Amino acid sequence: MPDSNLLEVKDLSVHFHSRRGTVHAVDNVSFDIKPGETLALVGETGCGKSVTARSILKLVPEPPGDYASGSITLSEDGKPSIDMLSAPIQDVRAVRGERISMIFQDPGKALNPALTIGRQVSEVFGEHRLDMILESAGIDPAKASRLEIRVAQQRASLLQLRVFELTRKKKAKALQKSIDDAVAKALAETGIPNPRKIMNSYPHELSGGMKQRVMIAQALACNPDLLIADEPTTALDVTIQARILELIQEMQRRRGMAVLYITHDLSLVREFADRVAVMYAGRIVEIGPALEVLAAPKHPYTQGLLGAIPHRRTARGQLAAIPGSVPQLVSPPAQCHFASRCKWAAPACSAVVPSLNLVEKNRQVACLRFESAGDVAVDAADMPVSAELQEETA
Amino acid sequence: MSANQDVTATTNAVVDSVVSLNDVKVHYPVKEGALQRVSGYVKAVDGVNLSIPRGKTLGLVGESGCGKTTLGRVIAGLVPPTSGDIWMDLSATEQESVQRLRGLDQKKMSAEDQALWKDLTSAKRLGSMNKDRQREYRRNCQVVFQDAFSSLNPRQLIRDIVGRPLRVHQEASGSDLDGKVVELLEKVGLSSQHLMRYPHQFSGGQRQRISIARALALNPEFVILDEPTSALDVSVQAQILNLLVELQAEMGLTYLFITHDLGVVQHMSDDIAVMYLGQVVEYGETDQVFDNPMHPYSKILRDSNPTLEGEKSKREWELSGSVPNPIEPPHGCRLHPRCPVAAAGCGWSVDDALRNAEEKSPVLFETITTVERSNDFNAKVKFAESQSANDFSSLVKSSVASLALAAPPEVQGDSVGLRFNEVPDASLQEIMPGRWTSCTRTQELGSLPEFSNTGKKKEDEK
Repeated sequence: MPDSNLLEVKDLSVHFHSRRGTVHAVDNVSFDIKPGETLALVGETGCGKSVTARSILKLVPEPPGDYASGSITLSEDGKPSIDMLSAPIQDVRAVRGERISMIFQDPGKALNPALTIGRQVSEVFGEHRLDMILESAGIDPAKASRLEIRVAQQRASLLQLRVFELTRKKKAKALQKSIDDAVAKALAETGIPNPRKIMNSYPHELSGGMKQRVMIAQALACNPDLLIADEPTTALDVTIQARILELIQEMQRRRGMAVLYITHDLSLVREFADRVAVMYAGRIVEIGPALEVLAAPKHPYTQGLLGAIPHRRTARGQLAAIPGSVPQLVSPPAQCHFASRCKWAAPACSAVVPSLNLVEKNRQVACLRFESAGDVAVDAADMPVSAELQEETA
Repeated sequence: MSANQDVTATTNAVVDSVVSLNDVKVHYPVKEGALQRVSGYVKAVDGVNLSIPRGKTLGLVGESGCGKTTLGRVIAGLVPPTSGDIWMDLSATEQESVQRLRGLDQKKMSAEDQALWKDLTSAKRLGSMNKDRQREYRRNCQVVFQDAFSSLNPRQLIRDIVGRPLRVHQEASGSDLDGKVVELLEKVGLSSQHLMRYPHQFSGGQRQRISIARALALNPEFVILDEPTSALDVSVQAQILNLLVELQAEMGLTYLFITHDLGVVQHMSDDIAVMYLGQVVEYGETDQVFDNPMHPYSKILRDSNPTLEGEKSKREWELSGSVPNPIEPPHGCRLHPRCPVAAAGCGWSVDDALRNAEEKSPVLFETITTVERSNDFNAKVKFAESQSANDFSSLVKSSVASLALAAPPEVQGDSVGLRFNEVPDASLQEIMPGRWTSCTRTQELGSLPEFSNTGKKKEDEK
């Protein structure tokens, strides 16, 4: 059913309470992701894209964070739908890594430097695939002792583990083997050569690209329905970046999962995303099919962002830089946040928050240039030049 | 490298250069153990010849760890070169004399040449020039660093940061200094109200503007831009790039633009040099290099870079494995162990055979007991048992490296003798006017070799 949504984010607002006031990091953001599709969330530093992504897994720490409003609904055929924001924490934990998983920007920081790769990856299995681990070790999950379960979950203390190893040698060996097999299989799937050797090494022994592969293996170990990739290649070189992105794409094809891809690089969007949502200062300003948005951006910010990307066609020194800088998000005024940098800005832009409106099939834009004066209750004279008018004159 | 220099000397396109490098090397010692014994050298920059023409922008691209930042630091005089010469301000004729006289024995030169060489080294060569000239070079050559957060002292006011070079070189002091600093700030799009602030009060883009103002304080001719925009967002990056172009036109600056971002380098530079593992592998005019790369590495780099234009990139060529250890760089062409079009003459050696074994069959690799090498191309590999020796021999035969074997691997009981054809190190050569490449196959063919899957197939069959 391609029409049903896998994930629906509705009116999500995330605030951070600081001494200087409330920071509106994410402000009434709504979007949805269909099964199997790739949605790219694009924006510059501080626009709230990472906070949005983390909110989906409820990873924003509270306090100082605060989910001020909205809902994030994960629904899927055959499984109960769940609102991540209001669900109890056990249910949220059951979703993390199992139905939605995430890979982070800097694999060097996201992996624990004190644990071997094998140990880190196996945690996922302990959390979500306990039965599988026990069964393949020849233990009936229904009759497993508490100690066995703890060992399989990797939660046993050193003493417990030692006792278990000494008293029940065979079972301990079988359990370890079953865990190792699962981990090796997960690592091998991401194209890591020699997974058994990698399992015993520590993160600092691996290259950046290899670490990111380990992260992907860990994230995909339980066949999630949605993978959130938060700038997965920013820390990597361009040749390795291409390989990692292809790997994600291939895994997506093979497993039919959806990907929420967070990036600041519009040229990556073109090659890897079906749809794109552009964020600015905590709000989504434009959503649409990736190729259409990149070919004919409608929001002035998207236009500015595309014009600012250097390439050989533009004459040197003639890059269309967006003047000014990103506004502060501490107690922001109710207006279009881009108004101060926008060449079309009119008095109405500083008075009304533009809402995300459908302007074409599948394309939504939050800009007063696509609205009529009557709808937003301001004087017609204060409205910016409408987009159609501008096109006609051009 | 001598062939290389001859070519440089005969090129007719030699123009005045701000800085020329001759076979510059920077090797960092690797120390081990309690006694800090030097066990090897990291060859960060290993034999670079470059000249930077006046008034132009030279882009230096490469992936992390290829030595591009070190090269920038050597040119700025921040790191002394291990060997090689750095010359400043050479006119076309002087460049030719340098090329001619370099490498000659001073005693065998004619008296005339001896005098000329003495003049050149004392006036133009970094390290041997007198103190005043050295000072002048430092003034003339300024650096803008990558990270504007750590390159500005957080405890100093902007006035002190930007005014510092003026004070060191005794250009201005007192209220005169303030006036000059404000002038500089206005040049980079800031104003007098920013004078009495600390770096933390500025955004990333503004901080990079301050760095630029500081670099321009002494009216330099030459600015080294070390990844000046990689920490910035694209809209701010565009502002900084525009500013740099504006300043270049206004002050007649020469730029060395070091970056890993191919879009930026394509937009900004007239010529580019592509670096890989401490060496320049391709040099040429930017558009030509991008349209028609003459080195497999440049081609792969270009194709990996996602763009907003044209077809979605199709990548047939791929680098295998990861960047080799710069302590023991591969022989011949440094790219060959990873190159999709590597052939017999690319510099295969014993290390490649061992590395291949480690990757393909780690179990087999573990059974190696000793490697007796007479040199890097000839060695005897000993195994714990004779079966492993046979396996190793067939593994070597199935790899691309087998093409470079002088004789088939000799299996004698538990040892395998390997003999590879010796190949000199690849050097940058001009294959058509203005186009330089270090790919030996391209040098022979005159164009990039065709890609075929034969090498891969061999491995697949295995």
